[in-house]
Amino acid sequence: MSAREEILQRVRAGLGKGDAAARRAAAEACMSNPARGPQPQLAGDRVARFAGKALSLASSAERVGCAMEVPAAVARYLAEHCLPSQAVATGDVADLDWIGAGIEVATRVAVDADQTGISGCFCAIAETGTLLLLSGPQTPASVSLLPETHIAVVPVGRIVATMEDAFALLRAEHGGLPRAVNFISGPSRTGDIEQTIVLGAHGPCRVHLILCGESS
Amino acid sequence: MKAAVHSQAMHFQARAGVQVANKGLQKALEKAKPLFVGKRAKGIAGLAEDGLGFEELRSTCEAIRRRVVDDLDVWLEIFEERARASGAEVLWARDGDEIRRHVIDIARRHGVTKAVKSKSMLSEEARLNEALSAAGIRPVETDLGEYIIQLAGEAPSHIIAPAVHKTIGEVEALFAKEHGRPAGTRTSADIPAMAREARAVLRQHFLSAEMGISGANFLIAESGSAALVTNEGNGRMVTTLPRVHVVITGIEKIVPTLEDFATLMRLLPRSATGQSISNYVSLLTGTRGANETEGPEKTVFILVDNGRAALAGSDFSDMLRCIRCGACMNHCPVYFSLGGHAYGWVYPGPMGSVLTPLYTGIENALDLPHASTGCNQCGSVCPVNIPLPALMHRLREIQDERGLRPRHERFALRAWGWLAARPGLYRLLTRRAARYLRWLADDSGRIRVLGLAPGWSDGRDLPAPPGQTFHELYAARKRA
Repeated sequence: MSAREEILQRVRAGLGKGDAAARRAAAEACMSNPARGPQPQLAGDRVARFAGKALSLASSAERVGCAMEVPAAVARYLAEHCLPSQAVATGDVADLDWIGAGIEVATRVAVDADQTGISGCFCAIAETGTLLLLSGPQTPASVSLLPETHIAVVPVGRIVATMEDAFALLRAEHGGLPRAVNFISGPSRTGDIEQTIVLGAHGPCRVHLILCGESS
Repeated sequence: MKAAVHSQAMHFQARAGVQVANKGLQKALEKAKPLFVGKRAKGIAGLAEDGLGFEELRSTCEAIRRRVVDDLDVWLEIFEERARASGAEVLWARDGDEIRRHVIDIARRHGVTKAVKSKSMLSEEARLNEALSAAGIRPVETDLGEYIIQLAGEAPSHIIAPAVHKTIGEVEALFAKEHGRPAGTRTSADIPAMAREARAVLRQHFLSAEMGISGANFLIAESGSAALVTNEGNGRMVTTLPRVHVVITGIEKIVPTLEDFATLMRLLPRSATGQSISNYVSLLTGTRGANETEGPEKTVFILVDNGRAALAGSDFSDMLRCIRCGACMNHCPVYFSLGGHAYGWVYPGPMGSVLTPLYTGIENALDLPHASTGCNQCGSVCPVNIPLPALMHRLREIQDERGLRPRHERFALRAWGWLAARPGLYRLLTRRAARYLRWLADDSGRIRVLGLAPGWSDGRDLPAPPGQTFHELYAARKRA
């Protein structure tokens, strides 16, 4: 007997239930009408909540009026942190006028030598101050992972309240899941040496958020 | 069962003695305990700010996990179908042997010489690193804690903080040796530099490894995905850069929907580290898309039994709900007296005291279900409401039913049972015992040397009882 058959048989024998078809139908019904658990009641403004949580997770944030102001804000951030004016970027932010702001942007998969990665996001979550990025041909996951500095452009109209709301948006706009759905909440960290928290374990040491546009 | 071959759980008492005498370990544990307890307490208290209650959330989490465990066969079939439909391969493993065979086989088929690993307790169950090395494939642990203990040639002593038992001096010595530099004197101020050093070394491994191996915190039935929760970002590296990704996971790890996953994520990080969310949470589905230039070309799930299937529908099925947060050990007085290595197998603390006997054989871990004060700290913090003390109690009963307890203990319990069934005699003897214990006590009301069992009072005093039995005190109160 195959390992698969043997394991499933052991489980079935232990459960001692018949009627696999009815149980299967119940499971399918549970998935086709997914129920939410207890939902948080977020007090106050959603954008302020998102930014406040993100700051508490050691991200930094800046608010600009519209997307056109983003490249200048990025240029200021790079200069302030003595970072070179080159960056790797995902396709969803490639159309901004980077050249006008004096930044040389390459739209591709990130490599080890890249010091700064600039990405957009699919949406952001106010409850936990989290970015949600989807992988894809135009949005490789390595851009938000390999460089020491990750700058993310967050249109405030894309800030939702909870992870459940983010999944609802994902279902509505994409149907299924792409290869990688990455929730990012601040810079990478570790506490594995004497429980002392250090930023920049394997992923970025700095996450800077540029919030733009008007709330929806 | 194979797993018993490498379990040291039968030597619990001897190992416990060694650990209690280990000053470095005791110092590390003393430092860690208030951090673990304090961070969780703060994280759970934070739920109230958003109008959420711990009890309501945990009963929802319990219900989600119960739904899966109660129809595990059905959920496994659904997960398998959907994972395959997304382009992943799904394999099954009865035990550690089969895990090792599958992984080595995949590695050989894809010309793998190096595998980077994100923390996987299943890989510890299978002792995968040894097998990979023997097959000429270099395994590199990339979770900083796992990396440290891999350099030390040790097993993890905690499921979420594998190197909690290591002091900074020990870590420095390991890094100096592995990274080919002289060892220095290090203080807490040097920890960022040490983390940076490990980052630089491990980065090169991430970039050159052909295979990534990870566990999964959850499997999502709805989408056939693996959910991976990390703070360091190593989970993302391992699942983004190498061309092959192998997920090794227990068959019980399924949750039905993305909404269920969102609910569990409100308690998993809070229970583990007190965080409202971990830095990186990834849902991984299928393989690299047609126009993508990164991501694994091959994704393989290995669904592992290794003792789990036998728990379905048994007295111990509650244990299949476990989401591996580590809160039970973080709140356990026994764990913090001994550290994780005393437990002798992969899982320490209260969850280990239940799982080790069940997965490696009840007769191979006789002490573990007794390594409990019965305080139920573990049960009270468990995010999925597993009655850990009751499960340990049931294991003790089974030991007795199977005649696995020492003869003197069985005799003593039978004698007690005989006596308790004779109230007149019972009262007479307990009156005598109460008077005797009162007489043993010194002026401060403590018994320094317990007369008939002096070994018991070697390391502690017994507060003296009041000199009267419960029956006497009860009768006196009724008269008053």
